[in-house]
Amino acid sequence: MTSPPALGAPDVVLVRYGEIALKKGNRSVFERALVKNLRAAVEPLSPVEIVRTHGRITIVPERRGAAVARRAADVFGVVTVSPAWGVPNDPQAIVEAASALLTDALEEHAAPVTLAVRVKRANKAFPMTSIEMERYVADAILPGPERVTVQLRDPELTLGIEIRETRSYVFVRRLEGPGGLPVGTLGRALCLLSGGIDSPVSAWMAMKRGCRVGYLSFHSAPYIGEGFVKKVSDLVRALCRWQSKAPLFVAPFAEIQRAIRDSAPEAYRTVLYRRAMQRIATRLSEREGYRALVTGECLGQVASQTLENMICIGAATPMHVLRPLLAYDKVEVIEVARRIGTFELSNVPEPDCCTVFQPSRPVLKGRLERCLEAESRMDVEGLVERAVEDTQVRILEYEGR
Amino acid sequence: MVGRPDPRSPVDTVYLDNAATTPVDEAVLAAVAPFLAGEFGNPSSRHPLGVRAAEALDRARAAVARAVGARPQNVTFTSGGTEANNLAVLGAARARRREGANVVIGPTEHPSVRASAAALEREGFEVRTAPLDRGGGLDLEGWAALVDGSTVVAAQMLVNNEFGALYPVPEVARLVRRAAPEAHLHVDAVQGLGKVPLDLEELGADSIALSAHKVHAPKGTGAIVAREGVRIEPLIHGGGQQGGLRPGTENVAGAVGFGEAARLAAGTLETTACATAAARAVLEEGVARIEGARVLEPAPQRVAAICAVLLPGAPAEVWLHHLEARGVMVSAGSACQARSREISPALLALGLNAERAKRVLRFSFSRHTRVEEVEHAVHALLALAPELEALS
Repeated sequence: MTSPPALGAPDVVLVRYGEIALKKGNRSVFERALVKNLRAAVEPLSPVEIVRTHGRITIVPERRGAAVARRAADVFGVVTVSPAWGVPNDPQAIVEAASALLTDALEEHAAPVTLAVRVKRANKAFPMTSIEMERYVADAILPGPERVTVQLRDPELTLGIEIRETRSYVFVRRLEGPGGLPVGTLGRALCLLSGGIDSPVSAWMAMKRGCRVGYLSFHSAPYIGEGFVKKVSDLVRALCRWQSKAPLFVAPFAEIQRAIRDSAPEAYRTVLYRRAMQRIATRLSEREGYRALVTGECLGQVASQTLENMICIGAATPMHVLRPLLAYDKVEVIEVARRIGTFELSNVPEPDCCTVFQPSRPVLKGRLERCLEAESRMDVEGLVERAVEDTQVRILEYEGR
Repeated sequence: MVGRPDPRSPVDTVYLDNAATTPVDEAVLAAVAPFLAGEFGNPSSRHPLGVRAAEALDRARAAVARAVGARPQNVTFTSGGTEANNLAVLGAARARRREGANVVIGPTEHPSVRASAAALEREGFEVRTAPLDRGGGLDLEGWAALVDGSTVVAAQMLVNNEFGALYPVPEVARLVRRAAPEAHLHVDAVQGLGKVPLDLEELGADSIALSAHKVHAPKGTGAIVAREGVRIEPLIHGGGQQGGLRPGTENVAGAVGFGEAARLAAGTLETTACATAAARAVLEEGVARIEGARVLEPAPQRVAAICAVLLPGAPAEVWLHHLEARGVMVSAGSACQARSREISPALLALGLNAERAKRVLRFSFSRHTRVEEVEHAVHALLALAPELEALS
């Protein structure tokens, strides 16, 4: 996308939001959160001014309007984004800008295009009504029926004009936002991140529904290498596209795995690893103020995810566990992972802690009393406490455009 | 010479050749230092030393990407701007060998683009050079007339290295897309980084070339930033590093320096604009007092940081050595070809004759250039003028 040569880079970015407008009681809380998140997302690109007016948000960037628009379209709560060009409140100036935008937009279409002109008039002092202005602009800019025909229902192109108090804005492109709710409005959750395909998708879904997400990974050094930490860091950075900044906690896990290897039946190792993970996550959440856990668990997907095993694992924490992928098929998860840019990172071959002392035949129908019995032979409390104490944290940020 | 000179120190050496290269910034030096000492790991190694090197490389890649509105995966480090231009022009043309027959380049391209095009000519491609208009700007109609369905590569620089013209690349992109939708558009943005806001998508380019040492990082590092999915054949072959486009163990220290320098460059655009505009104003005022001298004003848009000055009388080379005796360092023509006796084709393209082109001195500024330094240079010019304007 280049900018129309006659107009240069867009002056403002119009942001439309949907669902949060419905939440009556909390509306202003949601809007303020959205503005804050938009600011965090776009400020690395350009200094901006952000104003809330007329049920939408207007971003006024100092520069790089097109890049700011693209970045704004990554923020949860945003439905659509339009880079727009500002002109004085004068019908002729509006027509000139509209004409340049249309000429530019038509370059992407070879065949005849259907078009609607839509005017929103917030400034009632403007000499024409919205409908008069729509006709006036359409008459002035239409290049001829062989190129463009007017069609008010379902047009291929919609030329938008907003006439405000001091200036008018003209736009034609609408970038799709991710929808959902502004990150942070539903509280904080801690996502258990394995490096696989599922957990990053589950974190994305929790963010989409308004959770601010922190990440916890388990590092089994010296059985696995530092490459694992790099891999999960890369995943978190990619996920920061939707949350600008996030902490990654890395808990040491080898000591616990050795204890489980030495005290429990081999088949139960995987289930017991996961119970230990839940305990560490719980302890860390108490310390760091997370209210729920997020996992990539999916019913029946792998051996540890039979209903019986999930009951054994879930029993290890009193916390509420969000499992956004519970009913997803693998292909559906992969589709989302590709869309959000984590699939390739998850596919980097890098062993994780689950590969350490991996049982040859993991139990399929685990029994809680067998878990408890095995754990009674270990100092679970001490092991968990040491792991939490030695957990390291790094704050990661989005590094894309 | 490192970083910013002490503003209180008297002017003794004045460096006004920043388009040739720039002094390394102190922050860049600090960022690079660990990677020349204890942090010597190979980014492909699996031990912590290697993983830390890989992380540093990733950070650097992300910083360069951010400076030009791209994603980290768009950035491939090279040995410099020349390699990046070669990789883009040769690599994109060779990847389209069966799809077309001609290559179009801008009127005032850097030798690394012109020579790459010449190499393609020897491989059987036709090379077309776009014209300038009478005001020294791009002749967009002339450009458009050269591009057709069999154009495989189009290359247009963003900022000219010899006289600072800022070319309307988005409009070139537009006309190339229209006439040759499959062609690869490459933009040499080496002199643009740090001087004008850069955004891969807003430029409309398939790839851009960058160089680290023009923005206060060490020499020996550059980058090609290419849109996802573009086809470029590698020039060298090896162990698959950098997606195979530019294999070989990465220059971690160089990349880290470039990352830090790119971050600073993108963050100091306004400082640079102010400092270089002030410098240019002082120079223009001084040059106006020398009869027969003028600052060239090629093209409707220019960057303030690069000024070509046509001087009377003696050839630029003579002015240059007289200035250097007074502590002022500038260049005659551009440094990349200063040692060759060839007259700059870019200056000839501006409409200067050979004799005049030999009397062009280039003054180039950076964000660290102080007004007193330019005043010192102007005093030197004024003092030399009576003697040198009589020589020819």
